[in-house]
This record gives sequence, C-alpha cells and structure tokens, in this order.
Amino acid sequence: MANIQFVVRSLSNAKKSLKPNYCMLQRLYCSKSDKPEDEEAQKNKTNDEAIKKLNSLLRQMVESDTKVKLDLAKPGNKKALRQEAGTKSIKNEPVEKTIVKAVKNVAESMGGNVKQTESELLSKLLNPVKEDLEKPAASLSDIVKGMKIDRETKSPVSVSRADQVKQLLDKTRHQSNGPRGAPRQRRPVKHEVAVHSEPIDLFGEEPLGIFTSPLETYQEKENSMWTTLEDRELRLAVTQPPSNYFQEMILWTEQGKLWKFPIDNEQGMEEENNVYFADHVFMERHLEPWCPHKGPVRHFMELVCVGLSKNPYMTVKEKTDHIEWYKNYFEDKMKLLKEIGAVASDTKIPQKQIDA
Amino acid sequence: MNTIANVLRNRSNLKLNLTQITRLSSNVSEEKIVIPKAIPRGPTDILRALESTVSRDPTATHYKYHDDPFLIPMSNMGKRTFAMAQEAGRKAAYWVREQHPDLFQHQEADPPIKPFFPKMVYSEDEVTEDTLKHVIDEVLIPDAKKIYKLMIEKGMEISKETQQALLDLLCFYNNEDTLSEEFIEERWFRNSAKEKVRKTWADGSLAEEIFISIENPDAAAYSAIIQGMAKHYQVNRAWQLFEEAQGKGLEVNTSTYNSIIRVTSFMKESYDLRWSFVNDILSLMNKAKTKPNLGTLNACLEIVSTMGQSKTAKSYALKLLKEFKSLGIEPSLASWYHVLMTYCKERGPVSTILNDILPHIENKEHTIRDIKDTFFFVTAMDICRNHLHDKDLAQRVNKLLHFGNNYNLIGDSYKESIYYRHYFIVLCETEPLDEFMENIYNKLVPHIYVPEPGVIAEVLKNIDMNSAVEYLPKIWSDMLIFDHTGRENLLNMVMNIMINHKPDESSELNDKFSKIAWGIWSKIENQNENRIQKLAFTGEMLGNIMIMVLRNNDFEKAFEVMQKLDKGMHSVVGVPKLDALSMFMDHCIKEKLPTTAIQCIQYLTDSGFPEAEDFAIRLNKSLTLDETHLGRLGKIVGEQFLQKKM
Repeated sequence: MANIQFVVRSLSNAKKSLKPNYCMLQRLYCSKSDKPEDEEAQKNKTNDEAIKKLNSLLRQMVESDTKVKLDLAKPGNKKALRQEAGTKSIKNEPVEKTIVKAVKNVAESMGGNVKQTESELLSKLLNPVKEDLEKPAASLSDIVKGMKIDRETKSPVSVSRADQVKQLLDKTRHQSNGPRGAPRQRRPVKHEVAVHSEPIDLFGEEPLGIFTSPLETYQEKENSMWTTLEDRELRLAVTQPPSNYFQEMILWTEQGKLWKFPIDNEQGMEEENNVYFADHVFMERHLEPWCPHKGPVRHFMELVCVGLSKNPYMTVKEKTDHIEWYKNYFEDKMKLLKEIGAVASDTKIPQKQIDA
Repeated sequence: MNTIANVLRNRSNLKLNLTQITRLSSNVSEEKIVIPKAIPRGPTDILRALESTVSRDPTATHYKYHDDPFLIPMSNMGKRTFAMAQEAGRKAAYWVREQHPDLFQHQEADPPIKPFFPKMVYSEDEVTEDTLKHVIDEVLIPDAKKIYKLMIEKGMEISKETQQALLDLLCFYNNEDTLSEEFIEERWFRNSAKEKVRKTWADGSLAEEIFISIENPDAAAYSAIIQGMAKHYQVNRAWQLFEEAQGKGLEVNTSTYNSIIRVTSFMKESYDLRWSFVNDILSLMNKAKTKPNLGTLNACLEIVSTMGQSKTAKSYALKLLKEFKSLGIEPSLASWYHVLMTYCKERGPVSTILNDILPHIENKEHTIRDIKDTFFFVTAMDICRNHLHDKDLAQRVNKLLHFGNNYNLIGDSYKESIYYRHYFIVLCETEPLDEFMENIYNKLVPHIYVPEPGVIAEVLKNIDMNSAVEYLPKIWSDMLIFDHTGRENLLNMVMNIMINHKPDESSELNDKFSKIAWGIWSKIENQNENRIQKLAFTGEMLGNIMIMVLRNNDFEKAFEVMQKLDKGMHSVVGVPKLDALSMFMDHCIKEKLPTTAIQCIQYLTDSGFPEAEDFAIRLNKSLTLDETHLGRLGKIVGEQFLQKKM
C-alpha cells in the first residue's frame, strides 16, 4: 500500500510539463470508456502496455527521488523564449496534431524504444475498439509473467540501481546546464587567427568631420587648479616604490628632503646670491664717515670689522646694523671718551647714518 | 680659490688636448673645434644618470625589503604584508608627530626642511587668504575646508581666484581627504581594479554650498562642479548643470566636455543613442570653438569600447583616431587600450589589431598622459594570452614594457601581478618547457613574480606532458615556499606526475620523489587543528605515497603509511590501488616480516579486495611461516588456502 502511495506521489511529482499530456490522454481514455464494450478492455490492458506503464512508473520513482529540481530564477534564453512565443502564436492547430505531439512527449518521457511506444499509443488512440477486441484479456499472472520476461531482456528497471542513479544524475546535470550552459560554453580557442588577420590601417578610416578647422583656431580653456590636480594624480600614478637607493634619493630630492645636487654650500640661501661678497667682507668702509682715524676706538672698530667679515651667519644688513649700534654707543659716550682722551677732543661723530 | 684652480687646470688640460688634436689632425686641413655649450642640469640629473646604470637584479628581492634571508617575503601575501607593515610604521611616526608637535621643535637642518615640520594648526585669529591658498596648493583638503569655514565665520573677503581654486579642489576629490603623497606603498598595493563605478558624489557637500554661494557663477565654476559630479558619477545632476550652463551661454572648458562624454553610457542605453550623443557633444565643442585634446579622444574611445562587438563600433574607433590625428593629437597608451577593448572582445571574433598597434608605440619611451595609460600593458598581455595565444607578441609587449622608463606605466602591484600571470602562462603554453624554465621561470620567480596556484597547476601540467620530471623537485620546493601545499588538486597533480613518470632505479630522483611524497604526508598529517578547510587523506593518496617511498626502498615510512591505512579505515576515504599494496607485500617479503604482511592481507580482505587470497599464497610461497602465522592467515582467507598451498 505504502508503495502504491509512493508511486502516486512520485507520479504527481513528475515533470510538470508532462502533466497536460497525461491529462489529455486520460481524458481521451475516459471519453472512450463511456462505451460499454470498452470497459472491459480498459480494465485489462495488454501485457506490454501494463508492463511499460509500471516500468515507467518505477523509473519516474527513481527520477523524482534523485531529481531535486530547484526552480531558481535564471536569465532566460532570449532566443528560446522568442521561439516559444513564435510557436505559441500558432495556436489553432488541428486536434490530431496536438494529440500526436502529446503522444510523442509521453513516449519520450517513458524512454525505451520511443518510436515503438509512440506508434503503439497512437494506434491505440486511433482505433482502440478494434485492438481491444482482438487481444485476449490479460490476467494478473500474465502481467507478472511478462514482468519476468521483461527482466530477462534487461529493461531499464533491471539495470542496477546505482547505475540508474548515475545515469539520471548525468542526465540532470546536463539538463541543469541545458538552457544556460549553451551560451556559456566557451568557444574552442582558435589557434589559427583567421578573422581579422589582414592588417588594419589604424589611421586609414575617414575622419568624423566634426573638427574641421585647424587646432590653433580653437581656444584653450582649462581650470588651472583642476589641471594641476590632474597632473598630480598622473604623477602619483607612475610613482612607484623606489627600487634602488638612487631612486630613493631622487624621490627625497623631489620631496625637498635632501640637499640638491650638485652640492652647493649656499643652498637655501637664495637671497644672499644677490649680495656681492665684498659687501660681506670689506666692512671698514662703514667706519669712514664717523670713526676717528686713530686711537683705541678705531682699533676696536677695526677688530669688530674683521670679526664681522669672517662671520658667515649674518646678513649684510645685520652686520651694518651691528656697526650702527657701536656708532650710537660711542656717540652716547662721547663726553666720557673725550675726558679720558680716548678720542681727540676735536672729533665729532656725524649724525648721518651708515648706508649699507 | 678652488674654483679658480679648477678653471686653470681645465684650461691647461684643454691646451694639452688642443696640441694633441692639432698633432693628430695636422694633415687634415683646418678643422674647426666646436666646444659644446653647457647643458643646464637639474638637481636630480646626476642621480638619474647613476640610477640608469643599475638594473633590476632578478635574484635579489625588491629594494624595499630587508636583505636578510629571514626577512625576505616569498609569497604574494608576504610581500604585501611586509610592505604594508613598513608603511604602518611610517604612519605611526606621522601620528606621533601630529599628536606631539611640541617634541619636534628642533631644527636639524639648515636650510630647514619643510616636510619635516609638524602639522600646522589653524586658529581663528591667524587665518588669512594666503594660508588658504597655501593649503589648497598643498592639497590639504580638511585644512582647506576648516580655514574656509573660519574665514566665512569671520566675514572675511575671499578673492574669486581662491574661491575657484577651492571649488576645483573640493570637486576633484569629492570633499574627501586624499591619500598623502608620502604613502607610496599603500598606493602601490591599493587595489585599483576594485574601484567602484557607482555614484559616490557627496550631495549637499561644501563644494555645492560654495557653488550656490557664488552669485552668477561663471563658466569656470560651472566647469568645476560639472566635472566633479561627472567624475564621481552624479550623472543626472551633472547633465542638468551642463544644460543649464549651455542655456546661459557659458562656455565650459574642454575637460568638462570630456567628463560629460565619459559618462555617456550612464545616460544612454542603446549603442546608437550613445554614438549620436557623443557626436552631439563633439559638435557642441566645435561650435563653441573649444579646443579638443587627448582627453576628448580617450573619452570618446572609451564610450566606443562599451558599444558591443558590432562592426560599426570598430569603424567609429578608427574614425575617431583619424579625426584627432588630423587635428594633430597623438593617441596615448590609454587610447590604444580602448581600441584593444573595442576590437578584442571576450566572445567576439579574434582580431590581430595589437599587431597593427605595436609598430606605432614600439621602441619609444612613453610618459603618462592619461590616467588610464596604466591599463595598456596588462590588457595587451591579457590579449596576447587569452585572445591570440601569440608568444612573439607577448615578447614584444614585454620588451616595450622594459624599454626606458616604461615600466612606470605598469600601474600598481595588482596590475603587475596580473600582467606577469598572463605573460607567464602564454609562454608556458607556447615555449618549449626547457626554455621556459630557463629563461622565464628561473628569472622571474620568486622575486619578481610569485605564481598563483592556478599558474603552478599550468606549469605542472606542462611538466606532465613533457615528462620533464627533473623540474618537479624545484617546483615542489617553490610550492612549499609559496604556501600552495594546502590545495588538494595541486597535491594530487604532483602525486600523479610522480606515479606516472617512474624514474630509473638508479636515478637520484627516487630519493627526491620520496621526499616530496613524505612532504605531502607530513603536510596532511601535521596540519593545524583549527584550519577551516582541512585536507583529508584518501586511500589512493596514501597508496601513492606508499609507492613513492617504496621506490626509494624506505620500508619504515611505508610501514607507517600502512598503519595509517589500517587504523584509519573509517577516516580514510577509499582504498589504495592494488599496485601499492602489492609493492608493500613484496617489500614485506624482502624484509622477512610475515606479521606485517599478514596485517596487509587482513587489510585487503577488510577492504574487499578479492586478490587477498593470491597475496596469501604468495606470502606462503616466499616465506616459511610458523604455526601462528599460518593460523592467522587461515582465519583471514579461509582454510581452503592451506590446501591450495599444497
């Protein structure tokens, strides 16, 4: 009992597409069975018929066992869809044709000798009465006997279950690849380059003909900041991690972290470049306007000038300021200096400033 | 003083030279000596000259890694980790300097080095337009935003130029901070291929605020905001503003037209619409007398390359090239990249256009002119491998890459490794194996390129095909170093090669193969418990290991494998080949170890080998067994065996 239930369930699980065909067949049978003489025939089918049906049921049982069909959303095969639509549009086919088609589908779903099944089904459909009358009614034992024979002739059922499962798995694998796999399949790699092997003249095509005047007639307009940023990105796109010390030094030089080659002691002192070295070295001329020509003050100031001329850290301005400071200092102390006789009493420090 | 001495010395040298020359050319009548003019040299010229004498040593690691055997990275992962660790250290230093600027007040160098100064902090009282200008020039986006806000709060006037520059800056970088110039490694390892093509433009950001705050924005302001939006895929509003500017009669700049062309495919679906749109924009440019440039060409070609594999797209590409050529605009590598993309589609017909492109670019040093120039080499090599299978072309492309400073155009580490993957495989498939190993493999691996597992599989396949098993030990040791041994398919490939190509008895390869097999054994045996994808022994694998160690007459190890087979009946999937067990049996007999042999027979019967009986007979024939052994054998294979013995 449980087995039968199982068979029924598996039948209902069977491919949906088959359903309408079965229904149609059933309907056909039913319509025939209205007639009294058919009733008997309907009950007792021929051996072959029954066996085939049972076999197919068993087969479908296995099939529905193994086939876990997930109805996932798949990108549709456009061509197939279009074709389908095309066939759908031709709906008003004669009934015969639909029947023939349905029978064919059923036969194919049953497997085995498709042609034979098909023709048998068709003949059954077309003149059921005659056939049924000719054939004697089959008893249950006959059917069982038939099944035995069937096993001897290696019907699909008699193949070991493992093989069957394997076959089915292969089949399902192919099927699941079917609609999608076809376009996905990689083209076999063509080794002989055939298609475009003739050389292409890259500049041989007709121009578009939009920019007809020469380039100079067009105005150049760019946002300056945008352009510098673009240049920066381009520069960074080709800046790679340095691959030797020289490259690293180049990088550091460009980033302003290293002294620039050729090594120059005056790097970073660009302002001083405009100052002549004599301005730095010969400081005595700044004494001439105010300093006494002899005496301790002159001696002191000359020493100051020597010191300043040797100082590399001060700018010329700082040096003259320094001398200026002494000038003011001695001016303030003039009275005292005169008293102690360090300066001749007739000297006068002019109020004029030293000019650098 | 020194310089004077130098000059004098040079002079006397010159005189000497002159006398020499006059002596040499005494018979030649009056030759004029032209003293070349001094060439002004930049600060890095000397360094560049020196640098050009140093070429890449393929046997050494990259300069950035420590030259210490323990610190040399050998896998792609290792290379990345080591370099990024260094970069992380650099970043930590930057962080410390930023957090504690007070510690860095000393001045080591004179003149002072600006990049070593601590970061400036701006407060309300100090900001002026000059500071704003300065930070904009230095591309310090967060600072620029802050200063701008401070200035607006204080109600300070900002000149139009500065405002425009700020707008450009914010639009270009989408209001976000950008990676500092200092972090070269991070930029190198950043995966540019993963950059998303989706709307990233920050709506309602400061850039938009500035744009709105401008009364009667001029063409430059429109250009900036349109370019920014198009660059970050805010396509609809970019187009809206573009039309607005057109309506006002403002002439936007060339880059704006280019950026609008570049996003065509987001606005127009069908290929025909795209093409006519591009044409419209170009006509607009022509009407406005805006100068087209290389960017215009590349943007158009990029759109053409998205137009499927129709013939028209290809002719459009050629038309564009001709049009710009006649304008005097030379295509850059990016243009050729787009042309390649147009012609060589994955599923389209094969096109040899690369053959035609190469003569235009070969034996030339290229500088970057378009940001996509870096895509050329990796794509060209991809086409050599997947599209044309042409090793000569691959070599030509490779030569071009190594010409002059062209290597800079390789892009980043990701593109570099893909480039080498393609190069490697195309040569592996087409070159004779010996040459490939000699010229390519030994040169590039491991310091320049670390083959991925898939590439190793390709090499192994080739070794198998050429039965060049002598390379196997080297490949295996490389696999160990690159950490590819966790992949079952590779292990099986190595195993099968060793089984299928049996070296001579005397060959030392037997020893090496045995070591490899034992390496695989210990790899699986000692794997980390916590590994997610654990490798499991299969019976076949164990059998193969057994054969390998037995070929080297290492019975002890084979015994260990047998124990594993025997004890692990439930954990080991499948059974070994009969050959392996038969070989084991032979060795048992040779070593006179009946107990082990019986154990083997027991295993055979347990695993359902019908040959167990034959084995038992063989054992009984070759060794004299005592009673206990005979008894056990009898239990295993049945009493009838005893009769058969007779």
